[in-house]
Order: sequence, then structure tokens, then C-alpha cells
Amino acid sequence: MTGMDAILHGGLQGYLVVALLLFAIGLAAVLLRRTLLMQFMGVELMLNAANVALLAFARFRGGDLQATVFYLFIIAVAACEAAVGLALIIGLYRHRDTTDSDRTASLKQ
Amino acid sequence: MFLAFALITLLGALGMLLQKNIIVAGLFMVAAFFGVAGLFVLLANPVAAALQLIVYSGAIMVLVLFVIMMLSSHEEEAAEVGHPIQRWLSVLLALALAAGGVTLVLASKGVRQLAERGAAMPPAVTLQGVGATLFEGHVLGFEVAGLMLLAAMVGAVALTKRNL
Repeated sequence: MTGMDAILHGGLQGYLVVALLLFAIGLAAVLLRRTLLMQFMGVELMLNAANVALLAFARFRGGDLQATVFYLFIIAVAACEAAVGLALIIGLYRHRDTTDSDRTASLKQ
Repeated sequence: MFLAFALITLLGALGMLLQKNIIVAGLFMVAAFFGVAGLFVLLANPVAAALQLIVYSGAIMVLVLFVIMMLSSHEEEAAEVGHPIQRWLSVLLALALAAGGVTLVLASKGVRQLAERGAAMPPAVTLQGVGATLFEGHVLGFEVAGLMLLAAMVGAVALTKRNL
């Protein structure tokens, strides 16, 4: 399978293209949206894009189990990041009454 | 099948990016996560698909939606100062990254060779195999991950509690 055929029928290239586009959309969400929650969701999207690429490579290398173990660690880190990140957003909202990242550019009160 | 799940993933992500209401954006995000779980099933990895559904679509999105409900405004606030140049630059950057990456992937000889060599479907990943690999080679990492989750939990409580 080469080129467009691989993209349409789930070759390695197809998965990598999906991962790249997902990463680009996540990056656009972080750069374009001002709400901190939307930026956080963009970061989660980018993390997912990396996971898709990782597991796609693992499947085309004969079903490597190490990749799934790595994926396990990645989602453990993602869960920590989600808990602490959302706690920070709530803390910020209590102090400033806003979740707009433009309005919270300074750490000083 | 692949195309269906890829479209669910990308359209969900695109809907999230363009949606003004944060709650609806969060639900679009759940759709994207479901699409990714479907892709994992197609990659002969039902373990990762189950984890994706449980941790992302279950735990993390519930947490995000819960926080969204706690905040009073669900629409994006009006911009204090517009940054038109930076916004166009970031659109350009994301598009350039996507286009450049796709071109590279399609042109790469190594990726094509890997795709041809591994074209045969490997046996599906089993929970037993993952568990054996995890505890044979990564016991320390596993323990550290548990410690890190505990630290994050304590940190989240400490950050949100008004007076400790």
C-alpha cells in the first residue's frame, strides 16, 4: 500500500496522518482559544495524537507489548496533569474571577 | 472502518476547536476520544482502547465537565486586546506543521518499508501480556507512577481547598 491507498485503508501512513492532524488541531486550540479550559483540552488532544502514533508504530512492528506499557505510564501522567491543571484553573478562578488566559498574564495579584 | 474512526476523531477535534460553548466543546472532545479508542481497536490493541475509554472518556472528561459546571460563564469572554497578527500566525503555523508532517510521512521510504514489513495483523494485545511485561521490566516505573498519582491527588486537594 502506498500513498492515498494507505491513508484510506488504514496503513501505517494513515494512522500517522491522523495523529499529525490531531496534533495540529490541538496546537491550534492551544494557540487560538483564550479560555484556559479549552487550552487544556487542546493539550489533551496533542497527548492523544502522540499515543495514536506510538501504538500505530507498535502494531506495525509486530504488536510490541512495550508500547502498551508506555501508554499505561503516559495516561497515568495525563491523569495527574488533568487533576493538577484543573485544580490550578479553579484556584485561578477563585482569585481573579476569570479563566481567560489573556487576563491572567501576570502572576501578581 | 479505519476511515470512519479517523473521521470521528478528526471531526470531533475540529468541532471542539470551533465550538464557542465550552460544554459542547467538551462533548465534542469525548467524541474525539471515542474515535481514538476505535483506532486502538483497529490497531489490534483492545487493552489500550479500554484504558482510553475508562481514563479519558470516563475520568478525565468527567473532571473537565465538572470544572466547567463549577465556573459560571460557559462562553468565551470577549477579548481584552485582539491579537490579529498572532492569531493568523498561529493558524499558519498549525497548517504548516500539518502539511509538512503529512508530506514527510507520505514521502518517507522508511515508513513505507515498515508499513509493508508489518502489514500482517499481529495477535491482539492481551491484558495478561501487558501485565507480564509491566511487572517483569517496569516494576520501579509502576511504583513511581503510583506515588506520582498520590502526589497529584494531594496537590490538587491542597490547591483547591480554601483554608487548609
